[in-house]
Amino acid sequence: MAVASNQYRQDHQPVYVLHTYAFKETSLVVELFSKAHGRVATVAKGARRPRSAMRGQLQSFQMLAATWSGKNELKTLHSLEWADGLVLLQGEALMCGFYLNELLLRLLPREDAYEQLFDYYQATVKALSSGVQPAMHLRRFELKMLQEMGYAVPLDFDENDSPIVANLQYRYVAELGACAFTGAENGVVLSGQTLIDMAKDAYDNIQTQQQSKQLMRYLLAYYLGDKPLHTRQLLIDLQGL
Amino acid sequence: MKNPAALEQLIESLRCLPGVGPKSALRMAYYLLQRDRKGASGLANALSTALETVGHCQLCNNFSELPTCPTCSNEKRDRSLLCVVEMPTDVMMLEQTQSYDGLYFVLMGRLSPLDGVGPKEINLDKLIKRAQHNSADQQGVNEVILATNYTVEGEATAHYVMELLKARDIKVSRIARGLPMGGEIEYVDSGTLAQAIVERKRVN
Repeated sequence: MAVASNQYRQDHQPVYVLHTYAFKETSLVVELFSKAHGRVATVAKGARRPRSAMRGQLQSFQMLAATWSGKNELKTLHSLEWADGLVLLQGEALMCGFYLNELLLRLLPREDAYEQLFDYYQATVKALSSGVQPAMHLRRFELKMLQEMGYAVPLDFDENDSPIVANLQYRYVAELGACAFTGAENGVVLSGQTLIDMAKDAYDNIQTQQQSKQLMRYLLAYYLGDKPLHTRQLLIDLQGL
Repeated sequence: MKNPAALEQLIESLRCLPGVGPKSALRMAYYLLQRDRKGASGLANALSTALETVGHCQLCNNFSELPTCPTCSNEKRDRSLLCVVEMPTDVMMLEQTQSYDGLYFVLMGRLSPLDGVGPKEINLDKLIKRAQHNSADQQGVNEVILATNYTVEGEATAHYVMELLKARDIKVSRIARGLPMGGEIEYVDSGTLAQAIVERKRVN
């Protein structure tokens, strides 16, 4: 058989495994997040056989080097290799990792490269594995993800292009940004300080932590639509134990 | 040509098996009716008998014909140990090792947050009740051993069960991971080897 044209083959691409699910008797569909090609769906043939060589490498949250080929939406995954030290996500960090993956699976279109976002993902996963408080890292990732995907989240100026004032109350509305606080019910009410802190990437203030969480939850709900995130429900369930 | 309605229904029913598409279902149905009618009626009887008589053991949640399965009612087993596994096949594998004599609990699934399988979809409430009493003699379990898979889903399940039991003050342990028996370092995959380094054990 002639060797398939190399044009459709990608060798040793840095990737993360976002999700896998069973495909036919012994194969897996592997959803990859690659640096150069964004989200790619591939089939790992025979990966569910007991002695499959790919089994040990099919780890989420672990940077891998993947080789795949194909011109259709579903590519064929040829190999996965270890490309970084061990990143161990355990306990709550693991749940947060699932949350990141669900966000990417729900929001990223297929085969659209987001190199910066890939780097943010890598940094966030590493931060989670080091056992720090996850909240700040999750907020940062959520914000960067929306910005990288081209959804404007203006933080420095209000809807009339005036600079944000720290001790003023604002109503943040998706697609519009910070609007003057008039008591209308749409959007999220927050202080100017929160927006200034978020723009500076500073999440030390307790109020900033709470309000940025509400803001990101509202914005994500707006872009995700009606279907809730499963992982958020799981995190809520865990907290209730 | 159109198949008789009953045959069509048989083909449709066979498709509920994993990995069986319309073509394989058709082949199976023809085979059963054409070449092995005796086998077919045996299959039909076995299926309906199994559906009627096989339920879940009230203690370990594994498949059982009795309210309490033979493993759970075996007096010789250590009632202070409870091993939590995902599937009935995992019990079989652990039994084959002949090195565990405690009791089991089968979740019949695992948490899979990205597929929408949450705590309500696996039998966690039953596990909590089970870990708190051995209903046979009302003696509590001393240690719960988490033997879910070492996949991200298995880890998530183990974490959730651990949190559940921690809140109830029960000792929880997780099975070890590392090099396989007879494993040569040269041929072990990087993930397993990295894990083995991280979770190394002091020997002196």
